[in-house]
Amino acid sequence: MKQDPGAEPDAPPSGAPRGGGRAALARWVARRLLLAAVVVLGAATVTFGALRLAPGDPVKVMVGLSAAQNPEIVAQARHETGFDRPLAVQYADFLGDLARGDLGWSYQLQESVPAVIADNLWPTVSLTLTGFALALLVAVPLAVATAGRRPAWRALSSLLELVTVSIPGFWVGLLLLTFFSFRLHVFPATGGTGLSGLVLPAITLALGLVGLFTQILRDGMARALDQPFALSARARGTGETAVRLRHALRHALIAISTISGWTVGALLTGAVVVETVFGRPGLGRVLATAIQNRDFPVVTGITIVSGALFTLITLGVDLLYRVVDPRLREAPA
Amino acid sequence: MDDVSPFRPAADGGPHDAHPARAPRRAPGRAPAGPGPAARRTRGPAAVAALGLAGALAAACGGSGHAGGDAAGLTYASAGLVNCLDPQASASRLISIIDRNLFDSLVATGPDGRIQPWLATKWEVSPDGKAYTFHLRSGVTFHDGTPLDAAAVKATMDHAVDPKTKSVYASSLLGPYTGTKVVDASTVRIGLSKPYAPLLQSLSTPYLGIQSPKALRASCTKPVGSGPFSFVSWTQNTSIVLKRNPSYAWQQATAKHTGPAKLAQLTFRLVPEDGARYGALTSGQADLIDDVPTANVKALKSASGLRFLQKDIPGTVENITFNASRPPLSDVKVRQALQRAVNVDQLVKSVFTGVYARAWSVLSPATPGYTASLRNSIPYDPAAAAKLLDEAGWTGRDSAGYRTKDGKRLSVRWPVGAQLIRPSENILAQGVQAEAKKAGIEIQYVSEDSGAFVRDVLAGNLDLYINNWRALNPDILRNMYASDRVPSVGGSNMFHLKDPQLDGWLNSAAASEDAAARQKAYADAQTRIVQQGLSLPLFVPSELLGVSGKVQNLNFDASLYLQFYDVSLGKA
Repeated sequence: MKQDPGAEPDAPPSGAPRGGGRAALARWVARRLLLAAVVVLGAATVTFGALRLAPGDPVKVMVGLSAAQNPEIVAQARHETGFDRPLAVQYADFLGDLARGDLGWSYQLQESVPAVIADNLWPTVSLTLTGFALALLVAVPLAVATAGRRPAWRALSSLLELVTVSIPGFWVGLLLLTFFSFRLHVFPATGGTGLSGLVLPAITLALGLVGLFTQILRDGMARALDQPFALSARARGTGETAVRLRHALRHALIAISTISGWTVGALLTGAVVVETVFGRPGLGRVLATAIQNRDFPVVTGITIVSGALFTLITLGVDLLYRVVDPRLREAPA
Repeated sequence: MDDVSPFRPAADGGPHDAHPARAPRRAPGRAPAGPGPAARRTRGPAAVAALGLAGALAAACGGSGHAGGDAAGLTYASAGLVNCLDPQASASRLISIIDRNLFDSLVATGPDGRIQPWLATKWEVSPDGKAYTFHLRSGVTFHDGTPLDAAAVKATMDHAVDPKTKSVYASSLLGPYTGTKVVDASTVRIGLSKPYAPLLQSLSTPYLGIQSPKALRASCTKPVGSGPFSFVSWTQNTSIVLKRNPSYAWQQATAKHTGPAKLAQLTFRLVPEDGARYGALTSGQADLIDDVPTANVKALKSASGLRFLQKDIPGTVENITFNASRPPLSDVKVRQALQRAVNVDQLVKSVFTGVYARAWSVLSPATPGYTASLRNSIPYDPAAAAKLLDEAGWTGRDSAGYRTKDGKRLSVRWPVGAQLIRPSENILAQGVQAEAKKAGIEIQYVSEDSGAFVRDVLAGNLDLYINNWRALNPDILRNMYASDRVPSVGGSNMFHLKDPQLDGWLNSAAASEDAAARQKAYADAQTRIVQQGLSLPLFVPSELLGVSGKVQNLNFDASLYLQFYDVSLGKA
């Protein structure tokens, strides 16, 4: 979303920082970025602690049951992974590595963690972005068409939404595969990383969101349409569709952006299923396997990267609020 | 469920070897980001984005779903997982199948079980059976151009036994190995501390495939051997691509042609989802799939242009091992009662829709040394089970209907790794639990996170344990039941069983060259294992393959691993 704070009316009311919108915005962003760094560090620390609290000896899980019976192999792995050091030292090492930007080495994949993430980040990001966009593409017209009128249409839409929210993702994926890949041969079944390989997985992911998005948008629009400004717009002779699109939708979109942070998490979870069904590379699957195998550097690495993405998205959303709702431009961070 | 078997010697495999907790290779804790792996698949977002359109076009063209079927190569969709391609480190079935194309071995096992020359043209065994001298073939080069010599063989063997390799299987295959000596550039000698008959067969497996000494450090992600195919790329959780080695000229004696392989390319796609894998085959997007869902077998058999292949896997069958080292299963009568309380025939038939055969011995019928005489020796017999439990003193009943003795419920603990068990095996296990309940035996079947499961197994806090092992040699029984083969020395006698009679048979069979004596010893051992209630054999695991009609000359090696060297693609 393009943002041009300098072009906005510069009228700080009482209590607003002096120096104009631009400087205030810069300070706001700086503070938010600092906060984001704290959040990422917190997430990394919680992950570090949680992994060590999980049941069982991580080194033994890591080397596998067969090798776990061999004391020599276990001792070797314990030394190589640093698990033979006191917890405080491990944590200090972890923070030190993090400060240097060293995310470590994966025991399971025998590769540096940044390389693992680089290999898997784009497939997941492209999948989730496409899924998110597709969901909006369907949800917006549905909500605009059904908000506050035609109970029959609304009921039908609600039913569809309920169905899409309720069907498990892997089932949707298999149905899509059966028709579009196995029967019609339009899209590849597995391993697709190009555009044609993205279509079915993205639809699968999007279907889980369409219902949710439509409901939130419709509720928001219905509320907005009852507001006085809608009435005044209509009184000025604005057509019903224009009122919905220009005024009500704008309000409803705020609600969608509010849950977009949650959506990122949900998409990452959904990606595990979608990536498995479609045999796609991706962070979701790598993370799931790494947790099972106690591959700590990979788990913390992905946590840090997704934590950073999450906070950046939240920051973007808050910036977006300021665009959508001018009253927030003056509010401190 | 070979997946659940922590100790499964990788050879394991079984229908499904996605052991998530497979041992990593060497794990350089703070290792530098190896240039190898990093370079291997540097695919930044930008690069991918740039390639996106090209990829889309390529996919669309290959697209009408026949990406796997053209003359360029064969696509194999597998249910397995791959985390390291170093044969000395990894042990799963799929990795072995992939590695067989990349690595040649010193010797080969023919279909009749006889050992044949391969990278070694001939060999001598010292009179005391403790030294094996191999004469290497000349003119063999690895994919990186390094010539095969005695030093390369020594480096591979040293790598197999190096603790840093964290070998879960290859090192155990070498038996009482003492070391390898370079005699001259083309002669190498493997030393043993005592005679070990299975050595040659072990050396013929992919696990002891000879690696380029230059590549050993990075062979997890960049394997370099001398095989008919060389490594091209690996996309995590997605695919592994190999291409034909154009200078290959040292095929096994049993091969049907000479020179380079017929396929230009070999692509392994990792497709864990049953429906997606099966659909990939029926729609022509894969030429070969493994682990055909048993529910689809009937349809596959009648499909035109497709073939169904089922081969029993040698080694131990899918069986429940009983922990005889602690009560209540330390009582042989309780173990025998549990064997008879479960209607295995019915369970196996209904869960796997009749695809797998019920097993009667702990060894699979495909294993040399298998004895058929145990057939029907432990039939479903609730009356006999009840009588045995009465005799064992479990005569009371508690409010839940379970048998009791001295006020204590007859209860056994059966934890499984939740991530390691397949849904069908889960159903089978619950069937066993329900049948045992009818007989008054409580089975606490609990699904555990891998950390808790590993802890339980290491602490011996379990009474039942389900697994199977792929192994060509009946010596696998020694690894599981001999008293000295406890896990701390790399053995699989996880319940620390001490049975002098089994020890006698299994140890003498391992050291003996007398085929008849070995056969007798293994038959006696199998009989005792079943009669003493040390195990409840469930079903015979088999390879369930779906193959496109285009695939020609697909063969299995002696251990039932697929061979791709002779394979070509014709018209469906």
